[in-house]
Amino acid sequence: MSDAVTSPARHRAPAPPPRGTGDRARSVVRGAGELLLTLGMVVLLFASYELFVTDWLSALKQREATADLEDQWSNPRGTIDRPLEGDGIAKLHIPSFGPDFDFTVLQGTGQDVLAVGPGHYVDTAMPGQPGNFALAGHRVGHGSPFNDLDLLESCDALVVETRDTWFVYRMLPTAGEVAGWSTGKGATPQCRGVAPLPPPYPEVPGRKIVMPWQGEVIEPVPGAPESLVPPEQRAPLITLTTCHPRFSAEKRLIIHGVLVGQHPKTGPESGWSPAELVAS
Amino acid sequence: MYGWIWRQLPGPTAVRVAEALLLIAVVVALLLFVVFPWVEPRLPFNDVTTV
Repeated sequence: MSDAVTSPARHRAPAPPPRGTGDRARSVVRGAGELLLTLGMVVLLFASYELFVTDWLSALKQREATADLEDQWSNPRGTIDRPLEGDGIAKLHIPSFGPDFDFTVLQGTGQDVLAVGPGHYVDTAMPGQPGNFALAGHRVGHGSPFNDLDLLESCDALVVETRDTWFVYRMLPTAGEVAGWSTGKGATPQCRGVAPLPPPYPEVPGRKIVMPWQGEVIEPVPGAPESLVPPEQRAPLITLTTCHPRFSAEKRLIIHGVLVGQHPKTGPESGWSPAELVAS
Repeated sequence: MYGWIWRQLPGPTAVRVAEALLLIAVVVALLLFVVFPWVEPRLPFNDVTTV
């Protein structure tokens, strides 16, 4: 900006002198330069749009979705059996990301849905069901709910809150932790209920990086045909997917967890909240 | 380009500055709320789902 003010162009007489070929060449070069500068500004603006503006827009939409979901929960007739794309279906709390990490999860994984919050792959299990409750979320911009998934460690809690239940999932052991799990980390109190999935399950590590087309990670039996494990033996799993590395869509970061407990929101056990997990 | 736009703006300098700022604001708003939201899903760096 200050360059423009001090530039000699500002002091030129209003009536331009007769134009020669030199003038024309100069104006072409100047025009090209201005165009490039403009493109640079547009790219910078796009970067700040991705990093900041989409966060603001998403925060507004997320707040709206949360209010809608709470309305639906408090409405005695408001049970939705088959949520439509874009409907809020649950809340996701990840206590290791802080007590205020709390996102309304919506049905569907289209761009419009993911701009509001984490999205549920429509054909996968619902919270608490056997099979695979699979979610996708942005890592950059749009509220970036899954920004820090790479920081999750095995046994970290992933709490899914529905209308009437808290479902506590915990991340499965990572590939390096599987050997010696039961005597190592698996023996700590916070890992109660977390163990490598028993055969016939293939190895399902808590964290892995896959290529974008490896959709098997959200199958009921991750990484294997679902006929491998009969429905009554299927573990209730949770799977989170986001892009990897950050700022790139080259690969996908995958987190797998298993259900270790559930707490009804009404009745004698009511009053439980994920805050109880934050201290540990 | 910018020189040409500046010369097309009517009024004294102070008014022209205001007009120029308004033009910039309009362009930025168009980019942020129309162009970028349209272009973003077409760019390959924020896909988070598996197929």
